[in-house]
Amino acid sequence: MRGVIGLFRELDTTCDAIAILKKKKVGEFTVYSPTPRHEIEHAIDRGPSAVRIFTLIGGLCGVTFGYWIAIWISDYWPIVVGGKAIATWIPYTVFGFEVMVLIGALATVAGLFATARFPRITHTVGYDSRFSYGDFGVWIEPSPDKLQEAEQLLRDAGAVEVRVER
Amino acid sequence: MATATKPVEDVELLRRPNIPSAEVRLPAVKDYEQVDDEITATLHPTAQWFIGLGVAILFLVIGALAWTYQIYTGLGVAGYNPPVMWGVYIVTFVFWVGIGHAGTLISAILYLFRAGFRTTIYRCAEAMTVFAVMTAGLFPILHLGRPWKFFWLIPYPNWRYIWPQMKSPLVWDVFAILTYLTVSATFLYIGLVPDFAILRDREKNPVRKRLFAQLALGWRNTDREWRHFVRAYLFLAAFSTPLVLSVHSVVSFDFAMSDVPGWHTTVFPPYFVAGAIYSGIGMVFTIVIPLRKWFNLKHYVTINDLDAAAKLALFTSLVVGVSYACEWFVAWYSGSPAEKQFFANRLWGQWWWASALLYTCNICLPLSLFSQWCRRNTTWLFILSIFINIGMWFERFVIVVPSLSHEYEPWQWAGYRPTWVDYAILCGSFGWFSMWFLLFIKQFPVIALTEIKEIVKPRLKFRHAQGVDSTAHPLPFMPDTPGEFD
Repeated sequence: MRGVIGLFRELDTTCDAIAILKKKKVGEFTVYSPTPRHEIEHAIDRGPSAVRIFTLIGGLCGVTFGYWIAIWISDYWPIVVGGKAIATWIPYTVFGFEVMVLIGALATVAGLFATARFPRITHTVGYDSRFSYGDFGVWIEPSPDKLQEAEQLLRDAGAVEVRVER
Repeated sequence: MATATKPVEDVELLRRPNIPSAEVRLPAVKDYEQVDDEITATLHPTAQWFIGLGVAILFLVIGALAWTYQIYTGLGVAGYNPPVMWGVYIVTFVFWVGIGHAGTLISAILYLFRAGFRTTIYRCAEAMTVFAVMTAGLFPILHLGRPWKFFWLIPYPNWRYIWPQMKSPLVWDVFAILTYLTVSATFLYIGLVPDFAILRDREKNPVRKRLFAQLALGWRNTDREWRHFVRAYLFLAAFSTPLVLSVHSVVSFDFAMSDVPGWHTTVFPPYFVAGAIYSGIGMVFTIVIPLRKWFNLKHYVTINDLDAAAKLALFTSLVVGVSYACEWFVAWYSGSPAEKQFFANRLWGQWWWASALLYTCNICLPLSLFSQWCRRNTTWLFILSIFINIGMWFERFVIVVPSLSHEYEPWQWAGYRPTWVDYAILCGSFGWFSMWFLLFIKQFPVIALTEIKEIVKPRLKFRHAQGVDSTAHPLPFMPDTPGEFD
């Protein structure tokens, strides 16, 4: 995909660029920042993350499995003590809880991978190592006829470096 | 462009008034580039580091040789003397599990509470957690006569057609410790991913660059990645938080579920959790105070951060003190002669010196932290942290050994004396822990680069009081304090 990358030194000029891009609807854009910033998140306004769904499902599966494995084992290999239940929920809450945390946490990581679309084997076009250092970046994927307009928008917003990449 | 800034001297900070602990200010850190430059500069190995690593490996070898001797000869060389069949290994197991707890408290619970001072110390504390739990996990195995059969505790379909006793606290321990290790390691790794990307982009050595590229998983700092990362990190913190409470509660059930005098008490879970956090903070001081000096990171891990952590240590020491008082009260109020006799023996019996040591280290000396001068004096904090570590090890010793040696029947009473094998394996555990930690601090940043950047003011083209608003429009210029931008 052909696009334009603009490198910004400042946070406020990056947010200005995002506001202009949203208004002008030049194309899909991606913002690079060295650290998560609420200002950028608010400016982009993409809505809540879907990671929570993975966490919820993972946690529910975990607690179910934790209780089930403890009850099933007690039933399959009963240790009979007079007057005591073969399977009892109070001590098995330990397993329910621990496995809920374990599977829930691993499901959260799986959710992060799925929603944030990584691990990535190769770097994608537009990334610059300065984005992990101290600078901000905005990558736009405009239609071919809007390529020059996108370049100009980034320059006007305060980008110190603008280049077309493929 | 990086800004060379002189680190703030401790003496200068000692004179300043205290500030709220929820805030974190790094006046000597000017921009993002400075953060990367200064913290990644700590990754170059030095001669002192190699010497430290060599000593750690030497201790580890001593422990490994002692364990080999124990496997060859039998558990009898470990100083067990019936009915005292839990000794230094179980004491040290509980000690190391406890050490791990402060790491999770600092990295997860204080993250949820938005306590700013955690930002500069949590990476060290989190790594400490993982390595401490790795160390703790070895001790139940060391304690086995046939350690190669430790996996029998894990429930899986097997040719023996037998399954673990799911009502046993020892099986609960297996689940609790494995979950804790997995979740802590995951939490540490996920938090490191953006920092791996920074190291990948700055590394010149092709082999290390490739290694960091693999570890960074193709992280690119996009808005999509950050949005989901922040949320996932929050959920991992939320999952880790109850683990702090549950893991040491489960460890305490190993004792409290029995009817041994001194063990069979409902105060054990909160008592163990508070003690674990307390000992962990002690270890954090032991590690962080030398690190900030050797790595020249005093302007990141500021006196204010240490002051706030010292308040936490003081609070947990008071909780531990109340727990001791509860134990005494319950023993007296229960009316049980065995309980009363046991507690009298704990104070005036053969291990009176161990009790005196733990009460001095865990209750008396930490009272000094009521003084701001002590909280802000790094030398005293370091010395105190050593006392806390010693005191907390002896707390577990006093819980484990005197109880077993002084049960209901006087004819059963016995002594216990650790042997050289016990001491060698104890040294080996410190070597094992230190080896991993020393390897960690020279491969990965000891301070979270991206989280420090979050608290450093971003570069702005125009003057803003609070940056920009949600619609990306600059707010009117209104400084928080007069002359802030002059």
